[in-house]
Amino acid sequence: MRYARSIGLMVFAVLLAMMPAAARAADDLSKYPNLKGQWHRASPNRWESGGAKAPLTDEYRAVYEANLKAMADGAPGDMASWYCLPQGMPMMMSLYDPMEIIVTPEITYMLISHVNDSYRRIYTDGRDWPAEGDYEPTFAGYSIGKWIDGNGDGRYDVLEVETRYFKGPRVYDGTGLPLHHDNQTVIKERIYLDKANPDLLNDDMTVIDHALTRPWSVTKKARRDPRPRPMWQTSVCAENNSMVKIGRDPYYVSQDGYLMPVKKGQRPPDLRYFNSSPQ
Amino acid sequence: MRHVLPRSAAGETVMFGPNLIRPVVFVAMLCASTAARAHDESKYPDLTAQWGRAHPRAQWDPGKPRGLQQEAPLTPEYQAIFEANLAALRASTHDVDPQVRCLPSGMPRMMIAYEPLEIIVTAQTTYVRVDHLSETRRIYTDGRDWPAQVKPAFEGYSIGKWIDEDGDGKFDALEVETRHLKGPRFFDADGLPMHKDNRTVIKERIYLDQGNHYLLHAQITTIDDALTRPWTVRRDYIRKHKPLWPEYLCNEANHHVIIGKERYFKSADGLLMPIRKGQPPPDLRYFAQSR
Repeated sequence: MRYARSIGLMVFAVLLAMMPAAARAADDLSKYPNLKGQWHRASPNRWESGGAKAPLTDEYRAVYEANLKAMADGAPGDMASWYCLPQGMPMMMSLYDPMEIIVTPEITYMLISHVNDSYRRIYTDGRDWPAEGDYEPTFAGYSIGKWIDGNGDGRYDVLEVETRYFKGPRVYDGTGLPLHHDNQTVIKERIYLDKANPDLLNDDMTVIDHALTRPWSVTKKARRDPRPRPMWQTSVCAENNSMVKIGRDPYYVSQDGYLMPVKKGQRPPDLRYFNSSPQ
Repeated sequence: MRHVLPRSAAGETVMFGPNLIRPVVFVAMLCASTAARAHDESKYPDLTAQWGRAHPRAQWDPGKPRGLQQEAPLTPEYQAIFEANLAALRASTHDVDPQVRCLPSGMPRMMIAYEPLEIIVTAQTTYVRVDHLSETRRIYTDGRDWPAQVKPAFEGYSIGKWIDEDGDGKFDALEVETRHLKGPRFFDADGLPMHKDNRTVIKERIYLDQGNHYLLHAQITTIDDALTRPWTVRRDYIRKHKPLWPEYLCNEANHHVIIGKERYFKSADGLLMPIRKGQPPPDLRYFAQSR
């Protein structure tokens, strides 16, 4: 009997000592919010809503008006997606098609199949911004994120993200509301589940861009599909896209397979490289 | 109630009373449970990486020269289609490869990895992302059966199963079956065709090389009505360190313009060019004014 208490305590202590490592490993996965599922847009896809206007500089207000006019005439303006190029940030977060979020400790991925399969890779591995040559500008940008445990309960509540290193042209939405052509945009986000409704995702986005007179903040919302195994569809832009770009000008290809003007009075393309007459 | 454990060195029975047993059991169970959950994640092979094509050329069977020397087991009907496609490609008479329209490669061609693959493993789904033509595969490993209704897709619908071959508690291979495909699809850029009925079934075994974890293998068996028998090839991929992830934007880099049934080329100055000698320019009947 005299050893019983001490052996028991030793076993207890050994098991207790083992626990943190095992618990820590399991905890690594369990401390992230459950973002699984299929997320659908739950807020307007337009950025200017409820009478709020974008704080555009005068120069970019004029670019916006030119885009509006071009689109009214049937041309794409700054809308790269008309040529099946990605929407990029921040427009892609309006979820024109559903989004899937994959959370791993090192990277959070956002997969959105609109204008082909587009995606974001948000690095949460503690890295710093890459040096010149260690990245290439992209429409989605380069994103670094940090998980935040806001209330100290040992579980993450918010993913804070900063995104830089863009290419363009990019717009906020389908109206052609432009970002600056210098592509020096910085976008900051706070992504979190609604406290009262875990099937509602908030994305507080702040855009800092030389086309704006001040940072512009908008919250985008997404709702989780209740189906446990929702279907995913692939958007293949080239399947249905009738727009072609020749030189600097857009043209349509008609259903019967002929080149067409996109606006009244548009001149045909320069065919100087052809020797023979049209078919 | 007495709980008997081994005897002490003095031969005395060591007894744990209920007061001591309960917390020990509790902690042991907690450890077992958390370890089991953690172990679940560690069971999967480390595939999270950028995987570049290990073969210098992009024909479907990397072990054989391209074109007819692939010796694809095609039916006579599809052998004739293949030979016609090769002739059309040589003469640039008509458009064979859907990639010139920026259409996806689809399965199994996307596994050629014209641009690197990214594999993301989760317990329920393994994702294979291919930047070339922006394609993503979802391989469901959550034990689901084939759904009653699936909208066909170029990449198909894939169900996978992780296999622990040597019983060491860690998975060694991902076995995948892919169905519900749409077309047109080809095995490679030489117009090696798959059947137009799109009833292809593709079985894969994806696994790390046992001696070299920087090397990934995919053994891919295609069952297709254009083939006289299942056709198996093995494709290999090399893990890349510090990868760059550029966007591959087909419509940005594409110099082909398809108008009707004709393909044209875009010159460096963006103007339309013929792709073959004597090709007439496009019909401009919808334009009111000439240039």
